[in-house]
Amino acid sequence: MKITDAAVYPYPIGDASVRRLALEAAALGFDSIVAADAPSATYGGVAVRPGYMIRDVPVKDVISAVKRSKDSGRVISVNAGNNSFNRAVIGIKGVHILRGIQSADKTAFDHVAAKMAADNRVAVDIDLSLIITGRSVARQRAIHRYMDILVLEQRFEFPITLSTHACSVLDMRGVRDITGLCSLLGMDIPDVERALASVGTVMTPPEPTVRVIE
Amino acid sequence: MSPRPPTLREKRRYILARIEPAGTMLDQKELYYAISDATTSLWGDATTAIITPAVVALESGHVVIRCRRGTERELAIALSTVTACREVRICLRIIAASGTIESLRERFRPKKSPKSDIETTTAGNGAEEEPVLPEYSFAKKTFLIVQCHGQKVDVIEKGFKNANRLFLTKEDLEDLNATTISDRI
Repeated sequence: MKITDAAVYPYPIGDASVRRLALEAAALGFDSIVAADAPSATYGGVAVRPGYMIRDVPVKDVISAVKRSKDSGRVISVNAGNNSFNRAVIGIKGVHILRGIQSADKTAFDHVAAKMAADNRVAVDIDLSLIITGRSVARQRAIHRYMDILVLEQRFEFPITLSTHACSVLDMRGVRDITGLCSLLGMDIPDVERALASVGTVMTPPEPTVRVIE
Repeated sequence: MSPRPPTLREKRRYILARIEPAGTMLDQKELYYAISDATTSLWGDATTAIITPAVVALESGHVVIRCRRGTERELAIALSTVTACREVRICLRIIAASGTIESLRERFRPKKSPKSDIETTTAGNGAEEEPVLPEYSFAKKTFLIVQCHGQKVDVIEKGFKNANRLFLTKEDLEDLNATTISDRI
């Protein structure tokens, strides 16, 4: 089980190099990080998984982008849109994470999408930066949306990932801090541990339900 | 008015946190306002009144924050939402909680023989002069090292006031000085 921060943004998007983010992650108790547009590597005992964030494109372009990234080992995540878009994206083989659900429409992720996410092992991301940096209404809305998502997660058991969306080492938070912040959403320690290990879960191909023995 | 006997005083706890980035100069009062703002924003006035956060010490890049016993968890969560102090970006990394300030002080008291990676020169009268900062170039820009601790190196662009820090490692700097400079560091 690898404790993973599901999204960090190294230089040039952020102000820290991948190596520095990895060093900081190691000090904060992480085993791996998903870094946007970074090569796969290991620094200071922390595995850097390359991340590919797809946003603001139609489903057709998502399909072609996922095809291009097939077998590249990248963690592919798509920014959430409306309900039909989300259902279509969840159905695409190769998509690992659905992000930005807090910014999407209220009906963007319903029980059908939740069931599909559980079946296709697509994780829904919880962006902790909104809870860390947000204030008043913005934070309240984010917390409310995440609590709503977690109700569906309890019922359908789709994977949840946790990410700090750190552009700097100053935006990163330790595992203990994340556990505290997630307690605001009603997540207990086993829930947080499971969520932090979810990137490994979605990246591992599922075992076939029927196995042919010769 | 005589002070209350110890058994009648309210029990308190102290949280030690490290201020990042290292070397940031902060005012104790301003830091208190930042922490109080974060606590009030997250927990509301009623709970903040119960927590009663107070900055009791700010030294050597560390801060000691007092709270009522039993509210350490709430304060710790609120501290993780502190992102700035007077428009200076900071981050508080919680190190420990204790019942006395003295036991926390032992954790951050400067130890003897610290060898800094940045050279310092000493004048004849014994007074310390400004440290000689090594320069590094990257993408036709010159950077100065402002902080160096182990593998971690913080640099800042030369010649600009209030320029943003870049957080790198020594290995990155070796890359920066290489003949073929990669776009990705």
